[in-house]
Amino acid sequence: MRDRWEWVLIKHSGRNGFRGMVVAALLLVFCSTGIAADTLELSNHRGKVVVLDFWASWCVPCRRSFPWMNTMQEKYGDDGLVIIAVNVDNATADAAAFLQEYPAKFEIFYDSDHQLVRDYAIEAMPSSFLIGRDGNVIDNHLGFKFAKTDEYEAAIVAALGK
Amino acid sequence: MKKLIAVGLLALCAGCSSMGVEPWDRDVLAKAEMQLTTDALEAATDDHIYFSKEASSGGRGFGGGGCGCN
Amino acid sequence: MSKNTNQKSISATLATATCALLGGTIAAPVDAQEEPAWDFNTSLLYYGEDNDRVQDASISMLARRTFYDDRALTMGLTIDALTGATPNGGIKQNTPQTFTRPSGNDVFTTPANTLPLDDTFRDTRVAVNASWQQPLGRLYTFNVGASASKEYDYLHLGANAKISRDFNKRNTTVSAGLAFAADSIDPEGGAPTPLTPMLDVDDLSNRLGEQDKDIVDLVFGVTQVISRNLVVQANYSFSDSSGYLNDPFKIVAVVDGVTGDVIPRTPPSGDVGPSHEYIFESRPDTRTKHSLYGQAKYYMAGKVLDASYRYMTDDWDIDSHTVDLRYRWPINDKHYLEPHLRFYTQTTADFYRVGVVDGDPLPSHATHDYRLGEFDAITAGLKYGWETRNGNEMSVRLEVYQQRGSIPADRLIGNQVGLVQYPDLDAVIFQYSYRFGR
Repeated sequence: MRDRWEWVLIKHSGRNGFRGMVVAALLLVFCSTGIAADTLELSNHRGKVVVLDFWASWCVPCRRSFPWMNTMQEKYGDDGLVIIAVNVDNATADAAAFLQEYPAKFEIFYDSDHQLVRDYAIEAMPSSFLIGRDGNVIDNHLGFKFAKTDEYEAAIVAALGK
Repeated sequence: MKKLIAVGLLALCAGCSSMGVEPWDRDVLAKAEMQLTTDALEAATDDHIYFSKEASSGGRGFGGGGCGCN
Repeated sequence: MSKNTNQKSISATLATATCALLGGTIAAPVDAQEEPAWDFNTSLLYYGEDNDRVQDASISMLARRTFYDDRALTMGLTIDALTGATPNGGIKQNTPQTFTRPSGNDVFTTPANTLPLDDTFRDTRVAVNASWQQPLGRLYTFNVGASASKEYDYLHLGANAKISRDFNKRNTTVSAGLAFAADSIDPEGGAPTPLTPMLDVDDLSNRLGEQDKDIVDLVFGVTQVISRNLVVQANYSFSDSSGYLNDPFKIVAVVDGVTGDVIPRTPPSGDVGPSHEYIFESRPDTRTKHSLYGQAKYYMAGKVLDASYRYMTDDWDIDSHTVDLRYRWPINDKHYLEPHLRFYTQTTADFYRVGVVDGDPLPSHATHDYRLGEFDAITAGLKYGWETRNGNEMSVRLEVYQQRGSIPADRLIGNQVGLVQYPDLDAVIFQYSYRFGR
């Protein structure tokens, strides 16, 4: 099976040579015009269990999922869980307003050029991918249902345990 | 007549499989003003008025469209 | 590559983290749907026709309680008060006409050269409905509901169910719905036997007991997302009514075969009653309707165009076309205007007639109810909506509704030509709505 995160990394290697000191100046440009930082570095989290959750400000079930994901991050962060919520809004300002109402205690990545959603072939909003410590996708679920949160949590625990 | 309509609707469905948008592109469709029935109360009021004054009634109204979430 | 990767990864992480922080201070209006646990929609409505005809005032409330995982309970209540007069099916004459009230208790007189109107319609109606929405699995949604309404002489009870299934990443939704209604009518004095004469005051010999009407409705629909800005829907509906489908308050004049004048009569001495001969209308005891409906909602840079068309045909020979256009035009992010235009046209029922000819055998069915005649109608309106200081929605709309009809020349006899016209309708609709959550 192809190593998923490596494939994502290769797809996303963008321009070379941005230095840290230029980053600060460009942040404003990225944030206000919605050009996302173009690399999601899943390789950083190798050895940890990653939940990659795709959300949008207009997605109603996403509002329910954020408090739950906060709980999961707090509960299992020390055990090696990293939640990365990928935002697909066209304008990051919409995502910002959502985050004001539903603050996130986990990492947010902005995929406003919609490259990541295509790579993961998202079929529903929200979509969540459970990626194991070895970087392989273990599971994914379409939508967020309160009735299934025990199931989602059990899958995370199993992935952490392995 | 009924068979023709049923076939027509089925044909419409078959042709539908290639149309649409990706799940992440439903921001506009998720807006309240883009729902097929924006104001249920106004729609019900109008239906009642026209049912009382004309010989036709109903015809409208189901789900679909919207954010397509869950 | 690894060195660059590390540098890029740090900057990326920094970028994303800081974006989140910065983003937090650039608060932009969220366009997403709010989802309070409760959503209340209330309205006050006034409907008024000109020439002392029907006036209706109503208050409505729709409450929707959402639960986890896309389940919802919706409850509605409407109370309306109806007053005013409505054409009773009689025709204009050069002489005054006296009619017995539908209750049989009294008479009323219409002056010469005036469209006969019956003002017995002072009534209050209470209507309630409730429905439950439940997803089944990920792609199916099921809805079940009930409705009931009561006015002085009319009771409606109904139940409905609907199921829909999504396809193609929820770009396509196919739905099917079924509704049953069991209505009963028991007007004061009793429902009249169709085609029998209007009798003198206190003569209820031609009245029937409580009458029933059953209706079955079936709807099949497909909703399709065409593009990011366009969603369309197509529905086919089938409706079958059976039972007492007559309007117990409507009559048909008995006319002379040459002059077209209504035949005069004199009540027996000591009695009070109609001045001319009239019979109660008669409609078939079944009615089957088919409708095709199509709707499109199109978003153009903040403005929304809602266009729909409906074609209806039934076995009473009525065909109708309805075109409805709404254009929502946001003035800014808190106010909008929505002009509305509706065109409607219908053909006449095959048993619609001006009167029955005295001496001819009675037809099996006959009506002069203008709602089964041939007419065009236009509605033109404007709605203005705004967001209140506490984030709730208010709107007002004002509309005018006009019906202009015609009676085919071959259905007019003698003096009726020029005298008997379709009772054109002019009405105004005003509605105020307030929508709030929690």
